Amino acid sequence: MNFEEIEDQDGIRFSFNAWPSSRAEATKAVVPIAALYTPLKEREDLPLIYYEPVTCKQHTCGAILNPYCQIDPRGKLWICPFCLHRNQFPPHYRDISNTNLPAELLAKHTTIEYTLARSAQVPPIFLYVVDTCVDDDDLKALKDSLVVSLSLLPPHALVGLITYGTMAQVHELGYSECPKSYVFRGNKEYTSKQIQDMLGLSAMAARPQQPARPGQPGQPAQFVPSGNARFLLPVQQCEYTLSSVLEQLQRDPWPVATDRRPLRCTGVAMSVAIGLLEATYQNTGGRIMLFVGGAATEGPGMVVGPELKEPIRSHHDIEKENAKHYKKSSKFYDALAKRASTNGHVVDIFGGCLDQVGLLEMKSMVNSTGGFIILSDSFTTAIFKQSFQKMFEKDAEGNLKMGFNATLAVQTTKELRICGLIGHAVSADKKTASVGETEIGIGNTSAWKMCGVSPKSTEAVYFEVVSQPGQALQPGSRGLIQFVTHYQHSSGHFKLRVTTVARSWVEGGSPVVAQSFDQETAAVLMARIAVFKAEIDDGPDVLRWLDRMLIRLCQQFADFRKDEPQSFRLSENFSIYPQFMFHLRRSQFLQVFNNSPDETAYYRHVLNREDVNNSLIMIQPTLMSHGFDTQPEPVLLDSISIKPDTVLLLDTFFYILIFHGETIAAWRKAGYQDQAGYENFKELLEAPVASSQELLVERFPIPRYIVCDQNGSQARFLLSKLNPSTTHTSGGQYGAAPTGAAIFTDDVSLQVFMEHLKNGSGQKRQ
Amino acid sequence: VGSGPGYGFSGQGTSQSTVALMGVAPKILDLEAPPPTINLPTGSSITESPYANCDPSYKRSTLNAIPNTSQLLQKSRLPFGLVITPYRSVKEGDAPVPVVTDSIIARCRRCRTYINPYVKFVEGGRRWKCNMCYTLNQVPSSFDYDPETQQPVDRWQRKELNHAVVEYIAPTEYMVRPPQPLVYLFLIDVSYPAVQCGMVATAATTILESLDRIPNDEGRTKIGIITIDSSIHFYKLSSAAAEPQMFVVSDLDEPFLPQPQDLLCNLKECRPTLEALLNRMSDMFKDTQIIGNALGPALQAAYKMVAPIGGKVLCLQASLPNLGSGALKMREDPKLLGTSKESTLLQAASSFYKTMAVDCSKSQVCVDMFLFGSQYSDVATLSCLPRYTGGSTFFYPAFTAAKSEDALKFAHELAEFLSQRIALEALMRIRASKGVRMSAFYGNFFVRSTDLLALPNVPRDQSYSIEVSYEENLNIPVVCFQTGLLHTSASGERRIRVLTLALPVTSSLSELYASADQVAIATLLANKAVERGRSAKLDDARDALTNKMVDILGVYKTHMTASSSGATPNLQISDNLKLLPLLTLGMLKHVALRGGSQIPSDLRSYAMYLFSTLPSQCLISYINPKFYSLHNMPGNCGTIGENGIEMPVSMNLSSERLERGGLFMLEDSQNIFLWVSKDAVPQLCMDLFGVPNYESIRGGKTTLPALETDFNQRVNLIVGKTREMRRTPYYPQLYVIKEDGDPALRLWFLSHLIEDRADPIMSYHQYLGHLKDKVNSGSF
Ligand SMILES: [Zn+2]
Ligand SMILES: [Zn+2]
Repeated sequence: MNFEEIEDQDGIRFSFNAWPSSRAEATKAVVPIAALYTPLKEREDLPLIYYEPVTCKQHTCGAILNPYCQIDPRGKLWICPFCLHRNQFPPHYRDISNTNLPAELLAKHTTIEYTLARSAQVPPIFLYVVDTCVDDDDLKALKDSLVVSLSLLPPHALVGLITYGTMAQVHELGYSECPKSYVFRGNKEYTSKQIQDMLGLSAMAARPQQPARPGQPGQPAQFVPSGNARFLLPVQQCEYTLSSVLEQLQRDPWPVATDRRPLRCTGVAMSVAIGLLEATYQNTGGRIMLFVGGAATEGPGMVVGPELKEPIRSHHDIEKENAKHYKKSSKFYDALAKRASTNGHVVDIFGGCLDQVGLLEMKSMVNSTGGFIILSDSFTTAIFKQSFQKMFEKDAEGNLKMGFNATLAVQTTKELRICGLIGHAVSADKKTASVGETEIGIGNTSAWKMCGVSPKSTEAVYFEVVSQPGQALQPGSRGLIQFVTHYQHSSGHFKLRVTTVARSWVEGGSPVVAQSFDQETAAVLMARIAVFKAEIDDGPDVLRWLDRMLIRLCQQFADFRKDEPQSFRLSENFSIYPQFMFHLRRSQFLQVFNNSPDETAYYRHVLNREDVNNSLIMIQPTLMSHGFDTQPEPVLLDSISIKPDTVLLLDTFFYILIFHGETIAAWRKAGYQDQAGYENFKELLEAPVASSQELLVERFPIPRYIVCDQNGSQARFLLSKLNPSTTHTSGGQYGAAPTGAAIFTDDVSLQVFMEHLKNGSGQKRQ
Repeated sequence: VGSGPGYGFSGQGTSQSTVALMGVAPKILDLEAPPPTINLPTGSSITESPYANCDPSYKRSTLNAIPNTSQLLQKSRLPFGLVITPYRSVKEGDAPVPVVTDSIIARCRRCRTYINPYVKFVEGGRRWKCNMCYTLNQVPSSFDYDPETQQPVDRWQRKELNHAVVEYIAPTEYMVRPPQPLVYLFLIDVSYPAVQCGMVATAATTILESLDRIPNDEGRTKIGIITIDSSIHFYKLSSAAAEPQMFVVSDLDEPFLPQPQDLLCNLKECRPTLEALLNRMSDMFKDTQIIGNALGPALQAAYKMVAPIGGKVLCLQASLPNLGSGALKMREDPKLLGTSKESTLLQAASSFYKTMAVDCSKSQVCVDMFLFGSQYSDVATLSCLPRYTGGSTFFYPAFTAAKSEDALKFAHELAEFLSQRIALEALMRIRASKGVRMSAFYGNFFVRSTDLLALPNVPRDQSYSIEVSYEENLNIPVVCFQTGLLHTSASGERRIRVLTLALPVTSSLSELYASADQVAIATLLANKAVERGRSAKLDDARDALTNKMVDILGVYKTHMTASSSGATPNLQISDNLKLLPLLTLGMLKHVALRGGSQIPSDLRSYAMYLFSTLPSQCLISYINPKFYSLHNMPGNCGTIGENGIEMPVSMNLSSERLERGGLFMLEDSQNIFLWVSKDAVPQLCMDLFGVPNYESIRGGKTTLPALETDFNQRVNLIVGKTREMRRTPYYPQLYVIKEDGDPALRLWFLSHLIEDRADPIMSYHQYLGHLKDKVNSGSF
C-alpha cells in the first residue's frame, strides 16, 4: 500500500489502513485509528463539479453521494452506506446506469469538489491591526510590506486598518475630507456593544434624544450609516487613501520614559478589531492580521508591565506561578478567540521583535481560527517580508489560496466513532451518531469550524472502534468515513470538498493490521496528542505517557523472546517509529525550557497545521551530507555524521542550516573556492546552498537560514538536534576514538534509549 | 441738616438742588451727564495732575462723597458700592492707559497698596505714607536717581503719581511661570441642528477670516479645534502634515486626549493646516444625521488639553447637550413662568458646569458660550461656565444663517470677540482705606478669597460691581479704593493695572445725596436684583427695587425737604438722582425682571447675564433705550459733524411721541427698531427703503438698503453709529416694525416704551404715584 499515493489523491493518511474489527482489538493496537487529513489539498486533477451534491435524505444523516454507495439504476435509488437509507435519485439523474455514472459515483473520485450555486455576498475581508510602538526602521519596513500587500489582494477584497500603541485607532477609510480615525483608550476593557456604539455601528448611537415631533420640518430620517462603507472598503476603491494613511503612519507619539516600555494596547486593539467585524460582517470570510512589535504592556491582555525592571515571563515563571499577568491575559485573549471563531473570522499574528510578543497568551486567537503565525526578529527581515507575501499566493485562476469560514464534518459507518480533532479549529458542536465517548483533542462533536483554511492545513482526526467482539464480520466488509468540508473560496464561491474513504475491517490478531501501519503518520498523530496533552499537563507526565505508549506498541507488535532484549525485532514498517519518538521526546515541542514560551507556542502551532512529511521534519530533522566525489546523501541525525571534509545541510523545518566541517571551513576562509583549479571545492560549497533554495520554495513560513562552521558559535543549532551518540561523557565507549564530534549534553543517546525500550518491552505485558 | 465735623470741605462745590418728580416728563438727556463732581479737600493729591482721580468709565462709586459712619449710610438708605470696568476698551480718541516701564513698583510694605497720587511724602521725601494703612515706606531711590544713566530724575514726573489709572510692567516676582500665551480652543457643535441652522459653516468661515485679527504679537498664540456630536472629534494640526488629522473619541464616560501633542497648534506655524480644516469644516459634517451632543465630556477633554497652559475655550453650541456628564433636559415649563418657581428655571440645572468652572478657574481656563437655539438652550445652566471663569455668553435665539442678518450679527460679534486684546490669568484685588471693606461681588469671576477675584480671562468692557460696607467709623478726610488687576496682556507681558479712586468723607446727609451717582446706583441695583431673582424669587427682586426707591425718596422727604412729615403732594429728590425712579421702572419692565408668564427663561437668563456684565455706558441704554424721531430730524443729524456722526436728540420713551406718518428709531444696545407709521408717505418709503409705499415695506429683521438718497444715507449712518458707539462687541440687529404689522414684533417694540402703561405694569406717572403713596405711609 502506497500511503503517499493515497495522500496525493485524498489528502489523507491513516495510522492504520486496516482496522481491527472490535473495540478490544483496536485498543490493543495502542495507536488509535486516526487520520491526518488535508481538506484543501491541492491536486491538479481534482474533479470539479458545478452542480449541487446529492445528499442522503435521512434527516439525521445528510451524507453525500459517493463511490461507495450502492446504486439501483433501475429503481433510480441509492443506498446510503452510513445510515442504509434508500434514497431516490433526483429527477435529473434519471438517465443513470452502470455505464453512465455521474462523476461523484466514479470509483476514482473518492475526493471531489462541488462549486455550489450560492456565493458569498461579501468579498473576503482583510483587517490590518498594526503596532506603532516599533522602531522607525521597523515601522518603515512594515509600512512598505503592508502597502505592497494591497496590490496582492483581490481588487474587490475589503480592507480596513487599525493602528495601536498607547491607544487603538480605527481608521475610517471611507472619509474623504481628511484622515480620520476613531480612538479607543488602551487601558479599558470595552464590551462589544460599546465598541459598536463608539464606532457608530449601532442604531443606538444615532438615536434622537428628543422624540421627533411629527410634522416638524427638517427632521432627518433615522439613517444608520453602515459600518462597512466607512471602515472596510474594496481595496480598489481605497488603495490610495489607505496607502497614504500607511505612509504617514508615525511611531506612537506618547512619550516613553527611559525605564519603561512603550505602552502597547494589543488587547484593546484586537478587541476593537474583533468587535468591528463582529458588528459588520458576521459569518463572512475575513482575516484580522495583527502585526505586533512587542508584548502588550497596557490594558486588558497585558503580557508584561510597562516597567523595564519587570522581565517578561519565562517557562520557569509560569511553572512556578510567578507570571503575574499570564492567566488573566490568556483568559482575555481566549475570550476574544472564542468570539472571532464564532463570528467566522481568522486571526493571524505577525511578530517582528527580538523579544517575545506575548504569543503564548495570544495563541488561542490564531489556533482556534486557523490563522497564520509568523515570528521574526524584525519586520525588516526577509523571513517576515517573504512569508507575509507568500500568504497572498494565488492559484492558477488568480485566486488567493485561502479558504474562509470552513466547516469540516465527519461521518462514519456505525462501527466507528469520532473521538475528536487536533488542529486549528473549534468545535462546531454537532452531535451526531458518529460522535464517540472517548475524547481526543476537540471532541464531543462530529464537525469543526475553521475560520481560515489553506491548502496546507492538515487536521488530525481520531476515531475509536465500537463494535463488540464476536459480532460476525462479513467478508470484505469495510468501514467508511466521509469528510465534508464546506468553505468560502476566495473567489467568493462556496465550495464543498468531499472525501470518502473506506478501509477493511480485519479480525483481531490478523497480521494485516500490523502490515497496514503507517509509522510516519502514527508518529505525527501521537505527536499531536502529546502536544495537546502538554498544553494541559505537566511536561514529565507527557513524556512518561509517550514512553508507556511506545513500550506498549512494541509489546504488541515487536518480536522478542521474554526477558531476552537481544531478541527484540521490529518489522520494517515499525522500525523507525521508536526513533521518531526518541526525537519527539527531545524536540522543542516537549522540551520547552530551552525556548521562550512564545517560541514554544509558535512551534506547537506549526506542528498542528502541517502534513505528515513536514511534521516529521520538525520531529526528526533531515541531515544531508555533501562531500567530495560523492553524491549528497542523507546521513544519521547523529554526531557521528560530522566530518571535517563534508558540508552538512540540516533542515529542521524552522531553520535550514549549512554546516562546514573543520577542513572545509578553513579552506573556505582561505578563499580557495575563488581560485582557479578548485572548481570542485566551489561546487561543493554551492551544492548545499542550491538544495536549500529548493527547500525554501515550498516552505511557509520562510525558515531561518543559517550558515556556520564547525566550532563556530552558530554550530550549536546543529548540535542541539543531533543524537548525542558521542558526548563528552561517552568518549571511547566503544573502545575506539570517537569518530564524530562530541556534544555537550546530558541527554541519553538513541542507542541508550533503544536499550531501555528493549528492556521495557521485554518485561511482562501489562 | 447736619454738617461735617469740621474738616472744612463739606458742601464745597456741591449745589444742593431738589427737584419735584411728578407732573413732568423725566429729563432723560441728563442720563448722559457726568456723575456728580468728586470734591476732594485741597491738597489731597500730591500732584496737580487732572488725571489724579479715576475716570468713571474705569471705576465709579455710587456715592461720590462717603458717609463717615455706617449709621449715616444706614440712615441715607443709599446703596454703597463700586462699579468697575477695569479692562475697558480704548477706542480711537480715547487716552491710553499710561504704562510704567521701568519695573520700579513702589508698594506699601504692610498693606501692599501701590503708590498713588494720594500718598504723602514725609521726612524730606525719603519716605512715603500709605494712604490706606498709614504705614511709612521707603521711597525707592530710583524715584530720584536713575542708576543706569547716573542722572537725577524728577519723581514728580512719575506716571503713578500723576495718574489714577496706570499700568506697570511686572517683573518676574509677579509671575509663578512665564506669561501664558493666548490659547483659543474652539468647541464646535456639529450635530444635526448645528449644521442645519448654518452655525457650523458661519463659524468656520468667521474663524478663518479672523485668524489675522487674533492677537499674536509674539507668535505664541495657539489654536485648537474640537467638534462635537455624539462623539468628540479632535484635530491634529501639526505643521508637519499637509492636512489635518481627525480623531474621534466616543468614550464619553472617560473622555481622553487621543494625542499627546499637536491638538493645540501654533497659529503661525500651523496656519495652512488650520485653514485647510476650517475650509473643509462645513463639508465635513454636511450630511450628518447625528442629533446627540456631548458638550460635557468634550469640556472635560478640552480642559485636559488647555489646563497645562490655561486659555480660552469657546463653545459654539446649537443644541442642548444631551450625552454624558452635564447632559441637560428640555426643562422649560410654561406653567412655571410667572410663578414663584420661575427662579428654578433661572438657576443651573446641573452642578456639572459650576464644578467644571471651579476647576477651570484654578487652571486659568476661561469658557465662553455662544448659544444658538432653535428651541431651548438652557442659557441659565450653560452661562454658569462663563460666569465663574471670566468668560462671556452670547445668545442667538432662533438663529438661522439662511437669514443674512443672523449670520452677519454672529460673524461680526465672533470676529470682534476674537480680535479683542484680552487679558489673561488675572487676579483682581480691591483695597480700601482702613475702615471700609468689600462685602459682595457681582460679575463674571470666581471669588478666591475675601477680596481676591480670579479671572482666567478679562474680556474687554466687562463690568463688575462690588458692594462696600463699614468696619469702623471714618475719621479721615479722604477714602481711597485701589483696584489692582494683575494680568498677562495679549502681547505676553505680565502687567498690573492699578485704578485708584479717592473720595471725600462727609458727615452730611445732604452732601451724600448731592454726590450720589444715579447711573452707578442703577448699575449696582441691577446686579443685586438679578442675583436676587436667581437665588430667591423674581417678585422679591422687583419688590426690593421698588422698596429701595421708596426708602430713598422717603429719607429724602423726611430729612431733606420742608415737608419732613405728613403727606406731600409731590415726590422730591436731589437733582442728581431724579432719573433713578425711571431707571428703576425700566428695570421692572425689562425682560430680565418683568413679571408675567410670557418670557421664555432663556431670554430672561440672557438679559440677566447682560445686566450683570454690561458696562454702565451700555447698561443704561439697555434699561432705558434711546428713542429718536427720524422723519423730522434736523438736517445735520445723520451727517458727519465736528464730533463725528451727529445723532438726533433722544426722546422720552412714550408712545405719545409716535406721530402719524412718522419714522422712529429705538435702540437698547442689543437691537435697533425702526418704527414705520402706517401713514408713512410714499416718498419716505422710497427714500429710505427704496419701495414705492408703506405696503411694500417688509417688516422684521432686515438690512437697510444703501440708496443714493440723502435720507437713506443719513439713517444708515445713524444705524451704523449706533452699532459702534458703545464699548462692547455686540452688533445690534435691525428690525423694521410696521405699525400694523406682525403683532408680536409690534408688542415687542412697544414694550420698550417704558413711560407708557403696559398692563399690568404701571406707566411712569402711575409708578411715581405708587411710590408717593408708599413714601407717605412709611417712616424713614
Ligand atoms: Zn444516510
Ligand atoms: Zn499700606
